Amino acid sequence: MSQSSVLAYLRLIVLCFVLYLAITANLEPANWAAGLLMSVAIALIIRPASEPLSLRRLPAALLNLVVYVAWLSVDIIRNGIRVARIVLDPQLPIKPGILAIKSEMRTELGRALNAHAITVTPGEQVIEVDDNGTLYTHCLDVEASAAGAEEAQRKRQAMLKAIFE
Amino acid sequence: METLSYGLSTLAVLVGTAFSVIGILGLVRLPDVYARMHAVGKVATFGVVLLTIAAVLVVPFAWSKGLVLIALLVLTGPATSHAIGSAAYRLGIPMKRALRDDLAARRLPEAGA
Repeated sequence: MSQSSVLAYLRLIVLCFVLYLAITANLEPANWAAGLLMSVAIALIIRPASEPLSLRRLPAALLNLVVYVAWLSVDIIRNGIRVARIVLDPQLPIKPGILAIKSEMRTELGRALNAHAITVTPGEQVIEVDDNGTLYTHCLDVEASAAGAEEAQRKRQAMLKAIFE
Repeated sequence: METLSYGLSTLAVLVGTAFSVIGILGLVRLPDVYARMHAVGKVATFGVVLLTIAAVLVVPFAWSKGLVLIALLVLTGPATSHAIGSAAYRLGIPMKRALRDDLAARRLPEAGA
């Protein structure tokens, strides 16, 4: 077994194990053992494909993940309040439209996560992705989104690249 | 400590419910399927996440379950709303009051092809 395939197995086992402990919320030794057994069994059944993984990048990636989640949360709250205001306004001041946003993520996972980050914020939603990675995004207020799109997209990409690519 | 967590929990329930109500209001008021998706998506992220936080604050030792639940909600919610929005566009459902449509210039593969 090569080193990278061992790492791929380990990654899956740790992920399943942590998820199992989180869901059962039970820290008795018997539960630990059961969780570990199931995680190993799942890894053996799934047989994760080995990818170039490096342990050295892990701490930086995890730190970036925390920063990314925090940034995304702030973005969701800010835009959520903006959309709530639009909905509650008696005049319903929407300016809908579809905006093309360029994504420079190279991998499919990167593009999917880029689209996810846009769609998860209220008021913007990716309708279609083409082969060049352009994200066609429906916006509730297309003027405001177009003004901030490039800046936001640059930040998103920098963070996603630091984590996943 | 208990009073504090109950207070925060009550606040989370109130704000979560308020956002759910606003989401439904948006569903009724907004003009077309694309705009409505935004309102519905907001109910999922804000309403449900805040109600989950409220539950976690009251029930001890359940915070990890709540965290997993929130993570799954936030991860999968956009996928469903994208699927509905994309399907609507491919079926040719028009946008109302649209200011611009960058996608119109591109020919999409036919629905179901």
